[in-house]
Amino acid sequence: MRLLRPWDVTLRRARGYVRVRRAVLSVSVLTVIGTPFLAARFADRSWPAGVFVGATGAARVLGMEFLDPLMSAAVALAGGARPGLLAAALPVLLLVLVLGRFFCGWLCPYLPLLAVSNSVRWALGRLGIPTLDLRLPGWIRFAVLGAVLGGTATLGVQLATLVYPPALLARSAYRLAFGLGLGGGATVLVAIWLFDTTVSRAGFCRSLCPGGALFTLLGARSPVRVRREASRCTDCTVCDVVCNLGQKPMTDVLDAGCERCGRCVAACPTGALSLSLEGTRR
Amino acid sequence: MNRRGLLALAAGAVSGLLVRRPPAVAGELRPPGALSPGTFERACIGCARCAEVCPTRAIRFPPGAGLSAGRPFLALRESACVLCMACTEVCPTGALAPIPPVPARVAAEVRIGVPVLDRKACLPWNGQGVCRLCAYVCPIGPAAVELVGPQQAPLFHPEGCVGCGLCEEACPEEARAIRIRAPGGGA
Repeated sequence: MRLLRPWDVTLRRARGYVRVRRAVLSVSVLTVIGTPFLAARFADRSWPAGVFVGATGAARVLGMEFLDPLMSAAVALAGGARPGLLAAALPVLLLVLVLGRFFCGWLCPYLPLLAVSNSVRWALGRLGIPTLDLRLPGWIRFAVLGAVLGGTATLGVQLATLVYPPALLARSAYRLAFGLGLGGGATVLVAIWLFDTTVSRAGFCRSLCPGGALFTLLGARSPVRVRREASRCTDCTVCDVVCNLGQKPMTDVLDAGCERCGRCVAACPTGALSLSLEGTRR
Repeated sequence: MNRRGLLALAAGAVSGLLVRRPPAVAGELRPPGALSPGTFERACIGCARCAEVCPTRAIRFPPGAGLSAGRPFLALRESACVLCMACTEVCPTGALAPIPPVPARVAAEVRIGVPVLDRKACLPWNGQGVCRLCAYVCPIGPAAVELVGPQQAPLFHPEGCVGCGLCEEACPEEARAIRIRAPGGGA
């Protein structure tokens, strides 16, 4: 099979959807990288910390607290439950219930690194250097999630923050901004990136990320689905190829692991795919 | 999630629950308002917001990737805490319990550590003159450090001290006689 080049995937359709997603993702990545640098630059706090504190995983906007549901769950399970935790996780939680695993495609600050990983995979392929694309069984992510939450409860130490890319990225950005060197979190990130690049495309996101597993679980009943209109489909496989998470829209093999990023919809040359609410006809 | 996924989740959780729990460690200096050792580690998600708002950059994170990598500590040897309480205000999980920056509340509720004075190194205790720097910078006053005797030598009261480390920072280079230690002993 000819390798699809990164620039082959043009935005044919659903441009608005993809642009909105990219804008949201940019803001998310900017908070993760930008906040620590602003904080380091304005150490006297002349920069309005009252407006924005933190980053994607734990942000406070205009006094309103937003917390990653994975972190809320981990703290609650470790015995630190308090009402504010659930309230802070509620906005993302509700969105996950409706949109499914959207966090991974819309907010995760690891996505730019994953894009680089995919490009490197493609370049390596062009150079004739083989890269593995191991497909780990789907249940592994749930085992990882269980182990992380269970381990957090028993050890009494928050484990998710040690392996979860958004948390690792936030701490690495803080270290960089404050001139403390990259630290061990960056090493873990590099290991994750190398795994994704050489062993399994987006393999960490797909099979190992505890956050991805939690959102897959919570978003399983989401009514937002990628739908294929068989009469317009030419079986070109572009949608299957552009998907980071191993979904196969062309053969209607989609599960809760779909991050609703809309790449397949945008890439479809004949407009056979659409993101729509289940039970509605277009 | 199918049955296999549910089984995997349960298996993972059980394997996680089988891990031996290490004893709660005291020894690290935590930012002000930190819950007790053992509880703090359960609540802190390592978001680094406390470190980002710290005006003196006294709050640090360990450089490694181990179990302690996500937990902030105070590097009081390098810079003291000025008790602005900004870290407790931004903590999203309550691992640092919010304490308003009101002197009376700070004096009553903040217990970062206890001061330990090395009298062999302290200048007035050695008859090397009057120094008084520790008492001069102390935000608490005589309840935490009292000056005694003709040399005005410092006498610390750990029960009244908040452990901010301003005295440790102010102590002259040739003496460096003060060290804030974690309440439960250790470092």
